[in-house]
Amino acid sequence: MADKSSASTEVKAVQATVEARGMSGTLRQLALRGGPIIALVLLSAYLAAATPFFFTLSNLSNVTRQTAITATLAVGQTLVILAAGIDLSVGAMAAISASVAAVLMTQRVEILGIAIGPLPFGLGLVIALAVGTLCGMLNGLIITKGQIPDFIATLGTLTIYRGIALLVTGGLPVPSHLTATELKGYLPEPMIWLGAGDIYGIPAAGIIALVVVLAGWAILRYTGLGRATFAVGGNREAARVAGINIDRTKIAVYALSGLMAGLGGFVLAGRLNSANALMADDANLNSIAAVVIGGTNLFGGEGGVAGSLIGALIIGVLHNGLNLLNVSAFWQRVVQGLVIILVVVFDQWRRRRFLR
Amino acid sequence: MISDQPLLRVEQVDKAFPGVHALDHVDFALYEGEVHVLLGENGAGKSTLMKILSGTIAVDSGHIFIEGRDVGDLNPERAAQLGIGMVYQDLSLVPSLSVAENIFLGHLPKGHLGAVDWSEVYGRAAGSLEELGVEIDPRAVVRHLNVAEQQLTEIARVLAHHPRILLLDEPTSALSDSERERLFEIIGQLRARGVSIVYITHHLAEVARVGQRVTVLRDGQLVGTLPVDEADEDTLVRMMVGRRLTEQFPKHISALGETILKVEDLSLDGSLQGLSFELHRSEILGVFGLMGAGQTELARAIFGLEPRALGRIFVEGKEIHIRRPVDAIACGLGFLTRDRREGLVPMLPIPPNVTLAEVSQIPLFGALRLQRETETASQYVRDLRIQPPSLDRLVIYLSGGNQQKVVLARWLASASRILIFDEPTRGIDVGAKAEVFALMNDLTQRGVGIIMISSEMPEILAMADRILVMRGGRFTAEYQRGEATQELLLRSAS
Repeated sequence: MADKSSASTEVKAVQATVEARGMSGTLRQLALRGGPIIALVLLSAYLAAATPFFFTLSNLSNVTRQTAITATLAVGQTLVILAAGIDLSVGAMAAISASVAAVLMTQRVEILGIAIGPLPFGLGLVIALAVGTLCGMLNGLIITKGQIPDFIATLGTLTIYRGIALLVTGGLPVPSHLTATELKGYLPEPMIWLGAGDIYGIPAAGIIALVVVLAGWAILRYTGLGRATFAVGGNREAARVAGINIDRTKIAVYALSGLMAGLGGFVLAGRLNSANALMADDANLNSIAAVVIGGTNLFGGEGGVAGSLIGALIIGVLHNGLNLLNVSAFWQRVVQGLVIILVVVFDQWRRRRFLR
Repeated sequence: MISDQPLLRVEQVDKAFPGVHALDHVDFALYEGEVHVLLGENGAGKSTLMKILSGTIAVDSGHIFIEGRDVGDLNPERAAQLGIGMVYQDLSLVPSLSVAENIFLGHLPKGHLGAVDWSEVYGRAAGSLEELGVEIDPRAVVRHLNVAEQQLTEIARVLAHHPRILLLDEPTSALSDSERERLFEIIGQLRARGVSIVYITHHLAEVARVGQRVTVLRDGQLVGTLPVDEADEDTLVRMMVGRRLTEQFPKHISALGETILKVEDLSLDGSLQGLSFELHRSEILGVFGLMGAGQTELARAIFGLEPRALGRIFVEGKEIHIRRPVDAIACGLGFLTRDRREGLVPMLPIPPNVTLAEVSQIPLFGALRLQRETETASQYVRDLRIQPPSLDRLVIYLSGGNQQKVVLARWLASASRILIFDEPTRGIDVGAKAEVFALMNDLTQRGVGIIMISSEMPEILAMADRILVMRGGRFTAEYQRGEATQELLLRSAS
């Protein structure tokens, strides 16, 4: 009798937790990941009070455009870091994708004796994404099949991809007065619109970044790959015993990182109205900083893309704010570094308190 | 001899973690020269109490007295100063350093100019290992040692501080019988020197072997403290589980079915020498051997975790090629690893851990069935009585027995027809053990074939329909149910 009643209490307890899961889950997430949001709100509030130019429509859309690129790259970086990897080549992949696409869209080139180009916008976009994805897959293949640390592999490919981008562009911006020919010497209008245009006042680049964040979130939450990513990053051996293909998972997240880098590079080139082999040079560190500020564990297995979006926003707002406050570019770097450290220190301290 | 004043006294100590009242106003006393056994089911609060005494976690309320003086807030340094040494259940060695470096970690003997005196380091380390009576090379890198050697190194490290109070958290869980006996002798010697010891174990038989008094905890509460001569196993079990276990091994004998798994000439260089055997439906096939006889390699080879293994495997008469675990899972195999840490993703909650084996069976961008996942997980949380019954609690915060149940739930949920259990009761308490055995019976009733690897002779004798004994990567004997005795098993294994 006693057993029966205690069993039914347990059933109720389980049901109660199942029902409470959504609610407490959301609260928990907020409590765990709230630190970066608090930092972002405080930072924005300070800037709004300190300068009248911060909370203007044109400035906010400017911030959005700048943040969009970091956020797009940070989503791929988040997937990689969750799988206990790190991708130092996102900036290089953005540059090589944009460069290859820009050259093909503005010039007539001979590949294996066949003259190609200038290609239309749509094909250019597909090529940028394909180049990024291939570069990312190559990263994954080198790491898994070559069995070398992620850090070293992507450090190597970072240089290789920049080198290839330099070869492709001849070291010149594309288009430039030297590369603009009698053919279509300019980047396609839609590409420039992706980087600099807007829909009802909302920057297109921001919408793209938001879509990428949502896609990353959906992959992590709803697909086999997302679950495998958490498992591989959280406990590689357990993932192996459970039959998860570790190599395939890692190649996939690196390929996705490449895909998002390709997209980010394409949009960035549109905003700058030019692609070059050395563009997005601060993108590696900014994307990693965004992920870490956003609360993802640098050793894998814990975190998510929503935090990385907040992280990217903090970096973007800070950069913008320092400009508005006329802080010298030299001091800006010092302040940016300090803020990254402070946000993470604060977040770690708060988490320890919350968990205890 | 036991004096009036306890060396260590814990008064009304209370500690709560989110969702669990780990210690509920517990009193505890340790006298000089006493070995005090601490018993309790998983999650009873034993490890929490030890961690409080070693200063790694703080109390919510309550007091700790040493020789009658309130020590206030403990931290690891302060605990060490007070002469408290702790051997952790989960090893805390640095894998990439040598045995000697680990033993003297943080206080390597220094010579002239403050440089490390390496001959002193290795000499003294060899001395303390010898004192323990173990043959471990002090220059060996810890990563290359087996678990038992690591455990003994850990004990040597703690003893190098000459503690007055020694806390041992399940020190024998990874040891073979002879090593265990050796440890008991060492404990006896330490006690003769006046060292007081708190000894946590799951083996009821060890209580009278090492201890003078025994304290039982249940659900964070003190059940009672007894002298060991008043504490027979029935009493202890009753105190631990709060009910009397009429039968520890409720084995139902079920009719064996046809052959479900056939292994032919399985070899792995160095550890497996051409093993052949069959497993039937509804059968529990015991595999017994001393440590390192190749049982774990056998399990790993069948499950595709040893890519260099050779041999043929047939499931239900059809030859299959298992190159990696996903192939094994697809053929209806499941594997409960010896080390729970190889089974769980600690920073994920229960549901994804339960369904982890399904992830490999869906395409890369295929959708997870989250609704069903929640239903499956809550069903197993209920059926296996996983505590606390909270689906969003990360499994790292569950106790050992409950973690084991989560891994078990995974293979139950994947509807495996062939299960390989490597030491399924390692480090879990009697209550959880009985539940695991009941579960194994359920499974065989449903036609599942189980390979049960165990070094616990009473368990394997009671549960297995047939026992294969291993030595040096070979089978040395086969016994039907009822034929084997502990003596026969040991003789065949050694």
